[in-house]
Amino acid sequence: MKIIKRLLISTIVALGFISFSISANAACGKLVIANQNWASAELMANVDKVILEKGYGCEVELIPGATMPTFTSMDEKGEPDMNPEQWANAVYTPLKKAVSEKRLIIANKAPITGLGEGWWLTPGTIKKYPDIKGMTAIQILEHPEWFPSKEDPSKGAFVGCPAGWGCQLANANLFRAFEMEKKGWVLIDPGSAAGLDGSISKAADSGNPWFGYYWNPTSMVGKYGLVPVDFGVKFAGRDNWDNCITLAEQDCADPKPTAWTKSEVNSIVTANFAKTGGKDALKYVKKRTYPGVVMNGMLVYMADNQAEGADAAIEFLKKHEDVWGKWVSSDAKKKIKAGL
Amino acid sequence: MEFLTKFPVMERTTLMELKKGIDFAFRQFSRKYGDGIESFFDPLLFFLIRLEKLLLNTPWPLIIITLGILAWLGSRSWKLVVGSMVAFILIGYFGMWKDCMATVAIITVCTIMCITVGIPIGILMAKSNRVEKAMLPVLDMMQTIPSFVYLIPILMLLGIGKIPGLIAVCIYAVPPIVRLTNLGIREVDKEAIEASTAFGATTFQKLKSVQIPLALPTIFAGVNQTIMMALAMVVIASMIGVKGLGVPILRAISNQYLALGLFNGLAIVALAIIFDRITQKYGQRMQKHRGQKK
Repeated sequence: MKIIKRLLISTIVALGFISFSISANAACGKLVIANQNWASAELMANVDKVILEKGYGCEVELIPGATMPTFTSMDEKGEPDMNPEQWANAVYTPLKKAVSEKRLIIANKAPITGLGEGWWLTPGTIKKYPDIKGMTAIQILEHPEWFPSKEDPSKGAFVGCPAGWGCQLANANLFRAFEMEKKGWVLIDPGSAAGLDGSISKAADSGNPWFGYYWNPTSMVGKYGLVPVDFGVKFAGRDNWDNCITLAEQDCADPKPTAWTKSEVNSIVTANFAKTGGKDALKYVKKRTYPGVVMNGMLVYMADNQAEGADAAIEFLKKHEDVWGKWVSSDAKKKIKAGL
Repeated sequence: MEFLTKFPVMERTTLMELKKGIDFAFRQFSRKYGDGIESFFDPLLFFLIRLEKLLLNTPWPLIIITLGILAWLGSRSWKLVVGSMVAFILIGYFGMWKDCMATVAIITVCTIMCITVGIPIGILMAKSNRVEKAMLPVLDMMQTIPSFVYLIPILMLLGIGKIPGLIAVCIYAVPPIVRLTNLGIREVDKEAIEASTAFGATTFQKLKSVQIPLALPTIFAGVNQTIMMALAMVVIASMIGVKGLGVPILRAISNQYLALGLFNGLAIVALAIIFDRITQKYGQRMQKHRGQKK
């Protein structure tokens, strides 16, 4: 018992020293960053961690997150301090409110370029049914027989969004807006991110048709060459989208067919981040924009190598100095390079 | 000194190659045999869909009455009959009828599948020490390996939907019935077997007429446990696209809908308690017949 106690005490003391030595050279304080559970967000969170720690002397803790829980927590509790990749469509109204009340700050309006949500096809679909090339969603919806559902082959399978994601409601409402049930479609709930990806890679690997929801930039789009589908209708206005499509079914009595809203992704930070992180850290977040191509490349790298966010961040910092070099001051750049 | 403080790890690139190699090999395998394995399970899918449709299309009073009758047949206890009927009415009243029927369908098929697979394996284990030794670590693994780990290969092989969900549930739920069948048969009195041997019974006759009937209460405890574990897996199965009470729970988790999660969670608990009490009572009554009152 005594030995165990002594060991415990000595580790606690040692840990204390380690954390002390980190905070000793800190120009900024302790920050908590949301490490959301998909690849691009993971990469961004880890890159932010390395850059803020090595370049700006912050002490960064990553905590797991996901779109809705992380936003709710930031909105209600002011924690974590930053979400590097907040998809704004799902939280449009509350985010606006939080920003006007100065609780949250949109630090970067476009952390990644060239992104978007929408409906996609696997390349195998086009190979099997060449007619589909160039068709709009409205035209594809006339052909449910091209995408037979496993559980009821007389119906066409449209793979929507996993339960609980913001996009699930949007897809369910669009499903009604386009009268897809009448046209012979079923909305498949893939259940989870793994389920959605699994259904795509299964279809792409076996050359089967697949029609459903996905978003860019992702390794799935890069790896399988998913083809975006034009909706064939214009975006039917913010009112339809914000006050109907993104709400639960009972709050959206009459959804109108519409193209997907332009995706808005922000890096949002709390008021506390601006305080403890200081001006320099905020400036870095403002400048930090990943070109879409670079991001897709990193995502394919992560998928191929089963790399975790931390490994991918190192890879990114080593390979793409020309990209991140512009985000930081030359002084910080030197420190980061030395720290790699 | 460095050797002692730093664990000698496999080289990074080699490790990565190894991981990639495993993935690649499995991907090749699933490309080649995925469709074949999928069509192998088609009859099961057909049965599952039929059962779900039957449950959904039958008028609800009929289902509740059937449930009451089943509860009576199983338990012979009025309390249980009334309790389970009220529970089902409440589930329906709170708008969970459809999801509940989907869950009942998958649990039923899963239980049948586990019994048909599990009992023969359990018998084999009881007959041969070697099989038992080989099976025990496998069963340990099935029960403890995090279910997300085997969801990945199942997804790659079979995609999303009812069948992969069913298999995931069964992997988790089959061990108790295998274990308890094995245990039950091994625990049968030596005297009883000696007596049957003296009467010249063959191995099969011994098994059919002596060992299995005497082990039945234990086997039944295994069935009971299997149903419980299958119900516990309902939420995980929903992560790969199985409809049922798990879907609203997933939605509740990601959106912090406390009430929604609570309602559906309690519905699963209600199902579990009903199934558990009925099967337990049934098992106890089987013991009574043989006069093994405690």
